[in-house]
Amino acid sequence: MGDFDAIDSLLAAVGPEAALPTPEVRRELREQARLSKAQVARALGVSPSTVAGWEGTRDPSGEIRTRYAYLLDGLAAKFQAEAEPELDPEPEPEKADTGVAPEPGQDGSGEGDDVESLAVPEPCVLCGRPAGSRVAGFAQHLDPADCRAVTQAVSQAVPQAVPRAVTRTVPRPVAAPTSKAAAAPARRAFQTPSGPVDLIGEAVRAALAENEGDVDAATAALLKRAIPDAMRLLDETRKGARYDIVAHPWIPDILRKQTSRGADQIWEARPKWTRRQLPPGTHEVTALDINGAYLSALKTHLPLGQLEHSAGLAHDRRRAGVHLITPPAWEHEDVLPNPIGRRDEPGPLWVTEPTLRLLLRLSGPKHGLCERPVVHESYTSGATENLLEKFRVALKDARDAAIAAGDEVTLEYVKAMYSKFVSTMGESNYNRELYRPDWMHIIRSQAFANLWMKALKAHDEGLTVVRAMGTDELHVIGDWRRVFAEGRGVTEVKVKDAYAADAGTGEEE
Amino acid sequence: MPQRTIDFGKYGARGVKGSEAVARKLDELAGGITTPVTARRGLMARLHYLTRTAHARKAAYDAGLTVTDRTLKAWLDGRRSPSKANLERVERAYRSVRRQNVARHLLRRLNSSGGTRVEIHPLNQSQVPRPLQRVVEYRTMNVRRWDRIVAAWAAGDARELDDAWTDTIVDLGSQWGQYEYVTNIGFAA
Repeated sequence: MGDFDAIDSLLAAVGPEAALPTPEVRRELREQARLSKAQVARALGVSPSTVAGWEGTRDPSGEIRTRYAYLLDGLAAKFQAEAEPELDPEPEPEKADTGVAPEPGQDGSGEGDDVESLAVPEPCVLCGRPAGSRVAGFAQHLDPADCRAVTQAVSQAVPQAVPRAVTRTVPRPVAAPTSKAAAAPARRAFQTPSGPVDLIGEAVRAALAENEGDVDAATAALLKRAIPDAMRLLDETRKGARYDIVAHPWIPDILRKQTSRGADQIWEARPKWTRRQLPPGTHEVTALDINGAYLSALKTHLPLGQLEHSAGLAHDRRRAGVHLITPPAWEHEDVLPNPIGRRDEPGPLWVTEPTLRLLLRLSGPKHGLCERPVVHESYTSGATENLLEKFRVALKDARDAAIAAGDEVTLEYVKAMYSKFVSTMGESNYNRELYRPDWMHIIRSQAFANLWMKALKAHDEGLTVVRAMGTDELHVIGDWRRVFAEGRGVTEVKVKDAYAADAGTGEEE
Repeated sequence: MPQRTIDFGKYGARGVKGSEAVARKLDELAGGITTPVTARRGLMARLHYLTRTAHARKAAYDAGLTVTDRTLKAWLDGRRSPSKANLERVERAYRSVRRQNVARHLLRRLNSSGGTRVEIHPLNQSQVPRPLQRVVEYRTMNVRRWDRIVAAWAAGDARELDDAWTDTIVDLGSQWGQYEYVTNIGFAA
């Protein structure tokens, strides 16, 4: 009787609901398996946002719940199986497969894996070379290392394809994945950050090999090619990035040099300040040096495209460029340098984004150190802080590694790369790949603004700021070690000099 | 060609001919003496450049500096100074000889390693009435063969350069007509 069949199936469906782990655990399991929400969603036949919901506050129900529980159980079992037999310190994703599809003789095949060993080797479905075992009807190597020996392209597909083949072994097959889907590139989520190949290390090794270990000659050779290498590293780090580097935009006249050796009209706000009057008595002044000031300044709001003119508009946080402002009066010259640097002439001046942002920040309610600057006109473009971020991180990592290893060649090379990159990105004939005088000014100003903020921090922490010079020099009186960390990293400072000064001169003796 | 702009700037768009921007960029890449010809230093530098060898002298003559050797010598010795018209001729001859001399090297660099990437910055529409503004994007393209462009530029043939450049930007696709006039064209060599 059809009616009773329907009721029976309904009754069968009513039962204890499958137990699910807590939402955090669900998420962890999925991430550990390097599956994206979309992949899981596709397998279960729901939308990715539903999966997101299950990992947040909601719970699935009905048949979907059973399937989801099955997936999570499988993942949990997989990681358990992986954790137990293997003491390998670095769990590669491929290793997970050996955990699930063990050798036929071993136990642990209670998960339904039908692995059979073949008397006559058949061609592996993944690499085409003879394989001694068959999983779910597909002849393949159990150890991915065996598949590796073939061409690069095939071995790239291995970590993708093997787990697919294993999912086929479960008794209740999910929507059968086609081989095309198996070859699809990894999803965005949990993709290993595809850092640039080690261009810096390779260049250093090549130079050392070429000069037969002669450190001085290798350093000289590397310094010579620092600019093209920096451009190559930049290209490498921008692969697949959201924004293009626009290298040759139209440049407004204020950014053009007026004569071949002259300067343009941009004021970079370089600090050059010495405290007029020291507190009475003799003091021990420490000259601190900020490490890698220009390297850190690569993280700044850079205009992406061509600068567009605007006048009389409020400052837009999503844009960056150069601005004609009337700077506010500075009342704290006795204790802190003027944030726009040492300007002799009064009146409006063209400043860059970091200087304007610094002034706006200082005029805000938190600091309240000056009035708001008046912006008259601007040349701006949509901006991002991340344009040079990967580039900066690549250089910073190389620098840190070089410091840790005491590798002076790499250190010099990295230093030349970022400093020459910044100084030639304008209208320089040494680097014709990039004509961005606006970026050059903005990055320099960012370095100066960073130094200024360090001076403010020292002042706020009760140190006496004596001098702020150039990009990276800060002279203070007092116990600076409780304010700044000492070291060679970019977040640390190092001591350049220590000298005695007394109230009479306010200058170093 | 149907896509050529007929009356550029009718609705307030601003820009320069793409070929003109290319010539400007090539001149920039070619470099040369920056002191103006009106200054003595600039004049002397140009005269030395144009009279250093018999070949240079011949090229200068062909480029329109048709004064006698005696006059040139008098200018170089400072006994006489060129008239305004002749200053202009010196400048023009210098530009064209410089272009011819640099063209070969420039061409090699532009053609090397699969061509040169060119950035095309679209025309400025800020003065165009809103309803007539069109979405014209920033474009980049790779130009593999520069021979025709550089040859036309070195010969100072504006029309040929324009034709060569238009033939190049046709590769941008059916929208290429929007890039006949631009604000800037950028490339490195």
